Amino acid sequence: MAKLLPIDNNVKELRERHNNMTQGQLGELVGVTRQTVAAIEQRRYSPSLETAFRIAREFGVGLDDVFTWQGQN
Amino acid sequence: MSFNEKSAWVMFIVLLIPTGLYFSSVYYLSAALGYLIEPSVPKLIMYTIILVVLSIVGQTLIALSSPKDANAGSDERDKIIETKAGHWSGYVLGFGAVTGLIHYLAFNQGSMLFYIIFGSLIISQLIEYLMQIMLYRRGY
Repeated sequence: MAKLLPIDNNVKELRERHNNMTQGQLGELVGVTRQTVAAIEQRRYSPSLETAFRIAREFGVGLDDVFTWQGQN
Repeated sequence: MSFNEKSAWVMFIVLLIPTGLYFSSVYYLSAALGYLIEPSVPKLIMYTIILVVLSIVGQTLIALSSPKDANAGSDERDKIIETKAGHWSGYVLGFGAVTGLIHYLAFNQGSMLFYIIFGSLIISQLIEYLMQIMLYRRGY
């Protein structure tokens, strides 16, 4: 069973709003693999700050619009 | 499943085959002779050849099944997973090395020292592949 990491995100919704961009396309734009984009969307991987900024920049939004803290503490 | 996860699965299985053959032959020969046989260079060469051939075949097959992923290389997640898995396998190797050295100091058996160190090396590598698989599946 995969554990959910405390950082939630809207990457999937943002991809769909941007011409149904695929995970592979987003991965190429920000420098990670398709599987890593999938892991981010499923909250199985928290990206580095640099990758998080790159993702936000690709969608033209701020970091807070993509990632939110959902942890207990 | 990422290419690196497939690769970890392949290497885990590939490593088990020649290792199983090698240690079972050492065990049965030693049991038949009544003492621990010395490490044999031809056996180790054969072990290495089988390991290399199976690795090449396995890696080639997964690369052919997903050439795009194979060419993509490692990203930040892959590198963190490799580091974390290597960290834990290092403990296993260190524990095995210390165990082998203590055993040698206590019993002065060079062959057993070799087998303990060699076995620890293999087990630590298997742990590394298992940790990689677990981290890819569970997340971290």
